[in-house]
Amino acid sequence: MPADLKVVISGLEMKNPVMLASGVLGSKASSLSRISRHAGAVVAKSVGMEKREGYKNPAVIGQKCCLVNAVGLASPGARAFAGELEGVRFYSPLIISLFASTPEEFASLVEYFDRFSFVSAFELNLSCPHAERLGMAIGVDSRAVEECVKAARRKTERPIFAKLTPNVTDVVEIGRAAEKGGADAVVAINTLKAMAIDIVSRKPILSNVRGGMSGKAIKGVALRCVWDLYEELSIPVIGCGGVTSWKDALEFILAGATAVQVGSAFYYSYRAIEGIVEGLKEYLGERGESVSEMVGAAHG
Amino acid sequence: MYCVKVERVRRFPAGIVEIEFDRELRGYPGQFVMLNVFGCEEIPLSLSSPRTVTVKVVGETTERLYEMGEGERVGIRGPFGRPFSLPRPGEEAYLIAGGIGIAPLNYLYLVLRGAGIRVKVIHGVRNKSELIYDYPDMEVATDDGSFGFKGNAVELFTRILPESGNKVVYACGPWPMLKALYGVVKERGLKAEFSLESYMRCGIGVCGSCVLNGYRVCADGPVFGGEELDEIFENDD
Repeated sequence: MPADLKVVISGLEMKNPVMLASGVLGSKASSLSRISRHAGAVVAKSVGMEKREGYKNPAVIGQKCCLVNAVGLASPGARAFAGELEGVRFYSPLIISLFASTPEEFASLVEYFDRFSFVSAFELNLSCPHAERLGMAIGVDSRAVEECVKAARRKTERPIFAKLTPNVTDVVEIGRAAEKGGADAVVAINTLKAMAIDIVSRKPILSNVRGGMSGKAIKGVALRCVWDLYEELSIPVIGCGGVTSWKDALEFILAGATAVQVGSAFYYSYRAIEGIVEGLKEYLGERGESVSEMVGAAHG
Repeated sequence: MYCVKVERVRRFPAGIVEIEFDRELRGYPGQFVMLNVFGCEEIPLSLSSPRTVTVKVVGETTERLYEMGEGERVGIRGPFGRPFSLPRPGEEAYLIAGGIGIAPLNYLYLVLRGAGIRVKVIHGVRNKSELIYDYPDMEVATDDGSFGFKGNAVELFTRILPESGNKVVYACGPWPMLKALYGVVKERGLKAEFSLESYMRCGIGVCGSCVLNGYRVCADGPVFGGEELDEIFENDD
C-alpha cells in the first residue's frame, strides 16, 4: 500500500512533510538542490538586505545531544544570494528565509525576492535583534511580530511562514500575533538561548559567548510548543527542533504539526531527510494511513 | 572542544611553523582539526602527523600560531573529515604536494612508510626556502629553479610518471595545481584522491559554509576521489 505523504500548506504542495530547516546546508545553491531531491521543501539560510560577516569561529560546537551555534546570520546579502539561486534546478519548493529588524525591512526584502520564480514561499526569521529593544529578538514582542508579518503580507501572494522563538514566556501569544498579521503557518521552534564553557581555558567556547541550542536536546521543548500552538491557532503549525528519526517526525505530527523541519540531524548523516522520509513511508504504508489524517491525532 | 598543550614549536623560513601537541590525537591522515587559538579565531588545519599541524602564515590567526610558545594551550575540535584510503596491495603511492599542501601528505607518508608501502613524494614550491620536510624518495620542483626541477609539481610528475605499474595519486595543494593534476589523472586513467580546502565554520557538516558542488568538504571530504573529483572539477563551481 503506497503511503500518502503529500502535504499542502496554503497552496504550497510538498511531496512529503519533511523540510530542510533554515541555517543548515542552505547557504549554497548546490547543497539546497541536492537536499531538495528528497525533502518536501527546503528552507534556505536566512538572508538580509546587506551582506553580513557573522561572528568569528568558534561559531558552532557539537555536543552529545545538541548543537550550539552563534554563526551570527552570516549572509552574502539579498542580491548576491538571489544571483546564486537563479537558474539552479530545485526538485522541491524553495523557501526563502528572511531576517530584518523592522517591518519596513521585511517588506523590502519580500518585495525584492517576490519577483523571482525560484521562490515558492517565505519564512520570516524573527530572531534578529529588535531594532529598538536592544538585546531582544523581534520574536519576543507580539506587536512587532504582528507588524512584521503584516508588512510582509502586503508584498506577496505567496505563503508566509513565521518562525517562532521559544525564548519567550508564552509562545502561543506570539503565534497568535503572527496569525493575526496574516501568516499562513508558524514554524515552532527556533533555537533555545544557550552557551558552553571550556573548563581548562575557563572561557566561553563560542566567540559570541551566547548562542542557540538545536538538536535532540530541545525536542521535548519544541513538541510542547507545537502542542499548545495547535490547540490555539487556526493556521497550520510546522514542527522544528530535534527531529532526527521518522519516529520523532511522527511525534510532532501527532502533536499537531502539518510538516516538520530537519536541521541538526544532518550532523549524523547527509541522508538525514532521506532516512526520515523512508521511515514514514514504511510506517504509513503498512497501515494505509496518510500524513494529513494523523495531524494532531494525539489531541484525541 | 578539548584543550591540548603546545609541546614544541618548529619555525621554518617562509613563515611556516610546525606545532607539536603534548599528545597524539586519535585520527587518520587526511583529517583535520578545528584549532582554536584563544583570543583569536578557530581555524581548520590538516594534521601533519598524529600530534602536529604545519601551518603557513596568511593572516592574524596563523601569525599568532607562528608566535606560539611552548606550554601554551589551544582548543581542539576533531579530528574531523574523511581520511585518505590506503593503497591496494601492489599499488605504488605518489604523493604530490603544492606548497603547504605537504602537511596532510606528511601524515599519509608516515602511515604508508610504516606499512611498508612504496611511496614517492613530489613537492612543488615557489623556491627552496619553502621546503620543510625531507624524504628519502622525494623529487622537488621550484618555480624559480633554486632547487631541483624548474617548474611545478604537476609538470614534474608527468615527467617522471612511469608507463607501467599500478599507481595511486594522493594530492594536496592550491586549486590551480589540483585542477591541472586532475587533467593528468583523467588523461592517464589514474586512481587519485585529492585533499581539498574550503572556508569552514562548523567543521561537522551542518552549516554548509564549506560546500563545494553539493559536497561538504568538512564531512564528505576533505579527501575526495573517483567520480566525486569528476563532479567537482567538471562543474568548477
